[in-house]
Amino acid sequence: MSALVFTLKKQPEFTLEVTPLTPDNLEGKTLTNIKNLKLIYGNKAIKLDTLFSVKGSDSSQVIIEKSSDKLINAGHGMTKGSITIKGDVGDFLGQGMKNGILTVIGNAGSWAGNAMSGGRININGNAGDYVGAGLPGDSFGMSNGLINIRGNAGDRVGDRMRRGIIIIHGKSGNYCGSRIHAGTIIVLDKVGKLPGEGMRRGTIILAKKPTHLSATFKSCGNLKMQFLRLLFTQLASIDEELTLFNKYGPEAHRFSGDLARNGKGELLILQHYK
Amino acid sequence: MKINGVQIDDTFAEAFPMKATRIIITAMTLKWAYRAANAIRGFASSVIACGIEADIERELKPSETPDGRPGISVMIFAMSMKDLEKHVATRVGQSVMTTATTACYSGLDSEQKVSMGKSLRFFGDGFQISKVVNKRRFWRIPVMHGEFIVEETAGVTKAIGGGNFLVLAKTARHGLAACEKAVEEIQKVPGVITAFPGGVVGSGSKVGSKYKFLTASTNEAYCPTLKGQVKSELSDEIGSVLEIVIDGLDEESINEAMRLGIKAACSFGPAKGICRISAGNYGGNLGPHLFHLRKLLK
Repeated sequence: MSALVFTLKKQPEFTLEVTPLTPDNLEGKTLTNIKNLKLIYGNKAIKLDTLFSVKGSDSSQVIIEKSSDKLINAGHGMTKGSITIKGDVGDFLGQGMKNGILTVIGNAGSWAGNAMSGGRININGNAGDYVGAGLPGDSFGMSNGLINIRGNAGDRVGDRMRRGIIIIHGKSGNYCGSRIHAGTIIVLDKVGKLPGEGMRRGTIILAKKPTHLSATFKSCGNLKMQFLRLLFTQLASIDEELTLFNKYGPEAHRFSGDLARNGKGELLILQHYK
Repeated sequence: MKINGVQIDDTFAEAFPMKATRIIITAMTLKWAYRAANAIRGFASSVIACGIEADIERELKPSETPDGRPGISVMIFAMSMKDLEKHVATRVGQSVMTTATTACYSGLDSEQKVSMGKSLRFFGDGFQISKVVNKRRFWRIPVMHGEFIVEETAGVTKAIGGGNFLVLAKTARHGLAACEKAVEEIQKVPGVITAFPGGVVGSGSKVGSKYKFLTASTNEAYCPTLKGQVKSELSDEIGSVLEIVIDGLDEESINEAMRLGIKAACSFGPAKGICRISAGNYGGNLGPHLFHLRKLLK
């Protein structure tokens, strides 16, 4: 069976909610049924085939081609299968995702992985603000899963996250890991101002020393962190792309904080490669 | 049936169902992983009085362990989940956590689990940190050597305990040489352990006793010093009987371990003092798994 491929016929003028385009929702539907699905386009509901051409049959593998940053809510609540988005995508990528793999071969908007509780999001380009964060009013951000961003990420990555892992291969914006309750954020390039501001627990791992660190983080000195050895070995075992973690050693400068909020979180600044 | 001139008795070993777990102990060096593994398997020769049976299964290369350090795989067997639950947490806490630079992980992936870090985390006195990586939950407990990392639970599986065979030799020296070789061979089989010291039992038991408070007592039919006193199973030339007891994850692995072990013992032959191979057979009172010696050696 070939993957179910949705190709945008033209670039949308307004935001287009692609919430129904998940393996869960498409399972068991005929091509005709799929073409007749309603999508919210701007303030109207339109038939799917107005904007997409559809081919293929395997609903467990969904591909969206010629994507645009106007597409929002891609992979919403998915629990299985895979979605590959070729091109950019808008906000709320993988919102409420529970399992499966969501891959963007392009850039993603803000709030990627919001309310995510499992599965994996791969973003080959950059991501906007609030990756894995909770919406205003939510107690928590993402509660499990893995977000892997090859490019840079915006501000407030993982804000209030509860559990899970966010890996940013590039740079991260300001307030990275702000107010996190737990979970792990790894930034392999520069990080913006005040990482970990207001964090309760959790771990922020930085490959480069931050330029602005809040005064409410206390140095615990340079240490060999057994946890880093475990984490890097486990991440490297997930897939080929993450084998890059094999080159990182367990030596880190540990800061505990945010002392303004009970100080049980940690910032680990990696000291050197193996 | 004879192998290399050694008679194989037409009998069978009786084994019984158990619960087993496998834990992986890592440390900065293999030497320290061994120290923790040896501590955890101490006083774990028989469920009769120790509560569990435990032994080192094998050494693990850094590429085989969750944290990339050298490690040891230890298997622990008990009669019930309750026993396993009690002893695993206690032994990991007292034997592994106290050994410098160690970490402890589950070596079995299964539905049933026993607590490890789930109960040990409280040693962290509120400074412990939970981490979920690769769908596995680990606890980071700050300790004086740095950090003790322990997986929340260890997987448990159905297993079999009490696979065995007896090496009947002219002297203890002859028997021990053959048994050492047999244990070496058995250790090559994955999923089995020989929990007694050195893998060899010097005081094999029978079920029950004349004393009501004892569940097991000396197997007088195989005691050389009682040959003239009781209904003995030993002929004149036999002066020592040693037993090798094997616990394993399944019948196939115990079969294979017994086959390799018996063949290794028989390789010494009568010239080197090995006279007969028999097995602990208690008339079907002990357990449902029967390992017929002649059948498994065919």
